[in-house]
Amino acid sequence: MNKAEFINTLETSLGNIPVEEKKDILYDYEEHFSIGLENNKTEDEIAEALGNPRILAKQFKADYAFKQAENNASTNNIIKAVIAGIGLGLFNLIFLSGIFLSLIAVLISLFVSAFAVVLSGIILFLGNFIISITPYISLPFNVYANPVGAILFSVGIICLGLLFFIGDCYISKYFYKATLSYLKWNLKIIKNSN
Amino acid sequence: MQLNIQFKKGVLELCVLAMLDEKDCYGYELVNEISKNILISEGTIYPLLRRLKEEGYFTTYLQESQEGPPRKYYKLTDLGKETKDSLIKEWDFFVNGVNNIIRGEDLNE
Repeated sequence: MNKAEFINTLETSLGNIPVEEKKDILYDYEEHFSIGLENNKTEDEIAEALGNPRILAKQFKADYAFKQAENNASTNNIIKAVIAGIGLGLFNLIFLSGIFLSLIAVLISLFVSAFAVVLSGIILFLGNFIISITPYISLPFNVYANPVGAILFSVGIICLGLLFFIGDCYISKYFYKATLSYLKWNLKIIKNSN
Repeated sequence: MQLNIQFKKGVLELCVLAMLDEKDCYGYELVNEISKNILISEGTIYPLLRRLKEEGYFTTYLQESQEGPPRKYYKLTDLGKETKDSLIKEWDFFVNGVNNIIRGEDLNE
């Protein structure tokens, strides 16, 4: 690999780091090449000794992402830092994703159940007034035994479903916050051991 | 192999700080000297230098050179010196400890 290939690969691999920072990084390597050439090394020798520019770029990107996450712990920055960290193979992805995905599945089913409860409440409620609904839905008990009771019961089911739904929203919020904290904690550990 | 890489990373920081304590150096000097003694991918010194500068262990300045473009020199800060001293202490302690175990010497006797 010659100097131009090295520098260009490095530049492209650096991606969307701010221009100033990119220039600064590339300057160091330009300087390294020019001094190496003064010392009678060939461009190929210098590039070879420096190593793979794509891997170097990953390191720079991770350092930048960690710095951003430290200065401004926004969700966006943390996610970027995690992705950069994954790029360096620093997270045990399989372990994380398995647990995470099953938790997401639980969350989704909680929402589905809440929706189902609300829906059944609505149908029960409507079944009191619209006789045509009842033949198509087999209810486990006699709804028409006590009309007032039946109506109140269905309203209760609807409210229960809505409460269930609200509870799910809170659970999601805490799950989200817990995930973020977990990721931040991971980043701290990686930063300190880096 | 994995331990070796992590170990080297920690040690490189110590080496850089120790060299800069002796005198201000430019990047190529640091890379050259270190790679003479430790087998590393030379390019990884630069992200390290960048990160340590962010941490405030050194400042940089440009100096004209006869042979070509101005060179970026690294200069140790007080914080860098303190860190270097404590890292060297840790290193000596560590090396002594390991030698005690593997060679059965006790240097304190």
